[in-house]
Amino acid sequence: MKLLRLVVKNLRRRPMRTLLTVGGVACAMLMLVLVQSLGAGLDAALSGSEAARTLIVYRLNRYCPQTSFLPEWYGPRIEQLAGVTSVLPVKVYLNNCRASLDIVPFNGVPAERLAGSRKFDVLDGDYGRFLAERDAALVGRSFAERKNLAVGDQFRFGGINVKVAGIFGSSEPVEEGTVVTHLEYLQRAVAVNRLGTVTQFEVKIDDPARAKEISAQIDDLFRTAPEPTDTRPRILFLEHATRDLREILRFAELLGLACVAVVLALVANTVAMSVQERVREFGVFRTLGFHARHVAALVIGEALVLALSGGALGLGAALAVIRFSSLTIGAEGVPVSFSTQPELIVRGFAIALATGLIAGLAPAIRSSRSEIVASLRSA
Amino acid sequence: MGFIELRDVTKTYRKGEHVVTPLDRVSLDIEAGEFCVLLGPSGSGKTTLMNLVAAIDRADSGELRVGGTELTKLSASALADWRARTVGYIFQQSNLVPVLTAYENVELPLWLQPLSRAERHARVSLALAAVGLSDRAEHLPKQLSGGQEQRVAIARAIVADPPLLVADEPTGNLDHDSAEGVLSLLERLNRERGKTILMVTHDPRAAERGTRHFRLDKGVLAEGAEARR
Ligand SMILES: Nc1ncnc2c1ncn2[C@@H]1O[C@H](COP(=O)(O)OP(=O)(O)OP(=O)(O)O)[C@@H](O)[C@H]1O
Ligand SMILES: [Mg+2]
Repeated sequence: MKLLRLVVKNLRRRPMRTLLTVGGVACAMLMLVLVQSLGAGLDAALSGSEAARTLIVYRLNRYCPQTSFLPEWYGPRIEQLAGVTSVLPVKVYLNNCRASLDIVPFNGVPAERLAGSRKFDVLDGDYGRFLAERDAALVGRSFAERKNLAVGDQFRFGGINVKVAGIFGSSEPVEEGTVVTHLEYLQRAVAVNRLGTVTQFEVKIDDPARAKEISAQIDDLFRTAPEPTDTRPRILFLEHATRDLREILRFAELLGLACVAVVLALVANTVAMSVQERVREFGVFRTLGFHARHVAALVIGEALVLALSGGALGLGAALAVIRFSSLTIGAEGVPVSFSTQPELIVRGFAIALATGLIAGLAPAIRSSRSEIVASLRSA
Repeated sequence: MGFIELRDVTKTYRKGEHVVTPLDRVSLDIEAGEFCVLLGPSGSGKTTLMNLVAAIDRADSGELRVGGTELTKLSASALADWRARTVGYIFQQSNLVPVLTAYENVELPLWLQPLSRAERHARVSLALAAVGLSDRAEHLPKQLSGGQEQRVAIARAIVADPPLLVADEPTGNLDHDSAEGVLSLLERLNRERGKTILMVTHDPRAAERGTRHFRLDKGVLAEGAEARR
């Protein structure tokens, strides 16, 4: 449309002002999208379909894999309980237990028990090779993408050297962010030799309704042992592990709202200034036969172009940051990835659109309502 | 029936206690194809009268008929459409849009009409040729002289081929030669294209070009020989 061309030309009249506004909108949008994508990632981490029928057995009063040590012999004892279908001992090793942006979580498991306990599909590579080679690893899809790994690659992290034998996809987003190795290999690779201990047991039960009851039974088994346990459904375990992160995120979402307010003020200010300079011009347009709504469209159009181009820039920057910086936040050993769902992009644009409309509305109404003669008289 | 008919048109401005009545029951008849010059001291209401005739302002009372349309009865948006069809307004300043080229400025009024790009191009070229600025089409207003700018403004006023041209001191900001160019242009538009022209001027030489002369003073309109004093 011709009016749009005029809008763009007007924005180029003051390139610096336009650039600053678009840049400001982009920064705010970057913040907003990052916060939202982390929120979406957190939701995804808690959404695994197996979460309800999986129990996590952890060392009582420990919240970090570095400090939770349970004897492997707990496994067979748990397996004997009625309602338990499988038990998978897991040694979790990671670089950092605090909130970290680049977490690398290893899960060491007895390879022969893996297929019977976890649901996953080997998307690429060879499961047989993983079983056969003691330093082989199965890498979760999102971790492989994040670290740009392919089957056959070797990689080393924190003194642990592994070969990628396969890449797997899973219904559990959290598991897709991990590296699965042989249990004994991981136990031996870590500096402090903790052979015979694992971080946690993953217990599958046949009836989710009995989760509480079986959890209590497991904890009763080891109540008087030197290493007492704390068992809870995986969903509660994840919620507990990510509670700090969710708290921070709630605050960050407030900051996100503030960002929207900043965008609104920024765009509104720029449009108000630009309109003030052109009162007379609008009078001329009206004299030529343009309607009040044409003038309103020019002003709204300016606000929309500012908000949408800034929004697109910020959104693009956010997607680039998420893609290329391979951020994953660890919350007590649970990897939470930034999630870039299409809804997120749609929502970003919707927010930009709405702020543009709102910011442009008042100046648009004012400009289109002013008297032609009065406009022509203005400087 | 005249092309422009004013019957007892009154326009009053109130500024607090202060009341100004630039037009006090003014009546006026102008036939199509006339070149009318409106004279009068500063502040006498000449611009006010032009604005009423060009339908960018409304009278307080009276009847105002231009080209057979009773303007006092039209809605704001009907007036806008009417302006686009009927009036070309030439201001003292050119009032060109600074971010648009001469070509685009002239094209502006055609945006309001259902014309193809080619048709618009033909009309803009014709209008620019009529004001002798075909070679300046791609220039921005700031790259033109004052006289050229005013000629672009005239091209913009005639591009939609309205029957009425309203010019408020069109040469007020121009040097002698540029003023001559603009006046000759208006004269030609009147003679060759039959445009009805209503022009305000303070310049007696410009006034010479008109076929009828009016003088507005203290709210009262007078015509004829005494108007040219
Ligand atoms: N919007 C307004 N509010 C108040 N008074 C106004 C307004 N517009 C015009 N006037 C007054 O109306 C009178 C006529 O103004 P107008 O602009 O029509 O004069 P003019 O004859 O065109 O003068 P000039 O030759 O200086 O252009 C003046 O006294 C002016 O102060
Ligand atoms: Mg005037």
